[in-house]
Amino acid sequence: MDPRVLDPTNEAIPPLGEPAPRLASLAGKTVGFISNGKEGTKGFFAHLDRMLRDEFGVASVITRVKSNYSAPADQHIVAEIAGWDAVVTGIGD
Amino acid sequence: MQLASRTYDAADVWAVQELYHANGWTDGLPIVPPTHDTVAACLDWAMMEPRQLIGIEPVRGVAITAEKLAINAVMAGCLPMHFPVVSAAFTAMLREEFLLHGATASTGGCAILVILNGPIRAEIGAGGTFNALGNGSRATAVIGRAIRLALINILEVRSGGIDRSTLGHPGKFSYCVAEDEENTTWNPLSVQRGLPPGVSAVTVLAAGAPRQIMNEWTAKPEEILETFAAEMRANMRHYSIWPGHYAIVVPQQLREHLQAAGWSKTDVAAFIFERARIHRREWADAGKGAVVRDRGDTVYAALESPDQLLVVAAGGPAGGFGAIIPPWLGHKSRAVTEPIGVCVDCEPPKA
Repeated sequence: MDPRVLDPTNEAIPPLGEPAPRLASLAGKTVGFISNGKEGTKGFFAHLDRMLRDEFGVASVITRVKSNYSAPADQHIVAEIAGWDAVVTGIGD
Repeated sequence: MQLASRTYDAADVWAVQELYHANGWTDGLPIVPPTHDTVAACLDWAMMEPRQLIGIEPVRGVAITAEKLAINAVMAGCLPMHFPVVSAAFTAMLREEFLLHGATASTGGCAILVILNGPIRAEIGAGGTFNALGNGSRATAVIGRAIRLALINILEVRSGGIDRSTLGHPGKFSYCVAEDEENTTWNPLSVQRGLPPGVSAVTVLAAGAPRQIMNEWTAKPEEILETFAAEMRANMRHYSIWPGHYAIVVPQQLREHLQAAGWSKTDVAAFIFERARIHRREWADAGKGAVVRDRGDTVYAALESPDQLLVVAAGGPAGGFGAIIPPWLGHKSRAVTEPIGVCVDCEPPKA
């Protein structure tokens, strides 16, 4: 057998990007929720909304729901993210 | 042929196995060592350059090259003659409507079912009779496995990583079936899906595990097909109510009754379309009363239209069995059919 074998992975896979810097405080900030629309998101995000406003002084919470919970967020939602200070997503099941 | 992939030196075949397992590059089973010559042979057979683009995964923007796909095909046990099928299947999976990322990341745990049609089945020895959905032939076994290994290695769809499947199913090792075109009067699935007769093709479907049925006590088409429809209704109650591409696999014994009565695949699909429906209130019978709400009388169909049913002639010659294969999740992912080695809708070259 030829002892030299080949790497099966995608060595050219693009980097996932850098995480944004953390906020020093949530007070007065705008936080966006991107929900996948599953049943379990309703209670979770409602609770998180109250917690962020009451305990952390968040000024505004904006909730957006994806049209397809298995697909990436719709373009119009992605376009809104630039106007938010923080975003919560990836919560559903 | 110049290949671009990183190479590793291993002392022997056992060292290769440990190298690949340790790096998370396998499905847990032993692999065939992918060497320069075996990978180059696959590419030569398919007349592909190593850097040829099979496609780009639409969500993460990951490019799939022929070289990387061929490496994974060799690992799965593919011979060069199997590689064009793997390549066509992956091309189909990368179409936007297939929603590959969602299907491979979902907790739902579906696998990619590959259905083969056309002359290539005979050329590569892809059997569609005994054990059609099991270990019936080398070709279907290794082609289905190549799809999974390529997902693991090229798209990083590893269990517990991108692949969040709660259960998964055995089709995630290999899920490939060849239609038994020789023992039926029915049109091949690829023809039902719009390709010309005689063209080899793959159809891919993000699919749950097969659910087997049995009815060997009637020759009446309506009764035979009612059993298939009942299993689809059960799937709607117990798994997902949403409509999408279902496949049904009809072996020879039941098929002969349907064909003798003059029923075509189109007739079968029309019947199933009407019969595979439930009321939302039936969810309560399966413990899901909490989500019936005030819509108990609403009727849901398993198919949005009859042509969403993929009728596949396959299975051994004896036995009144059949199977339904449900979609991963309604129509979030749509079945895609791709010709192998030809372009049937390309513009002719300008004179």
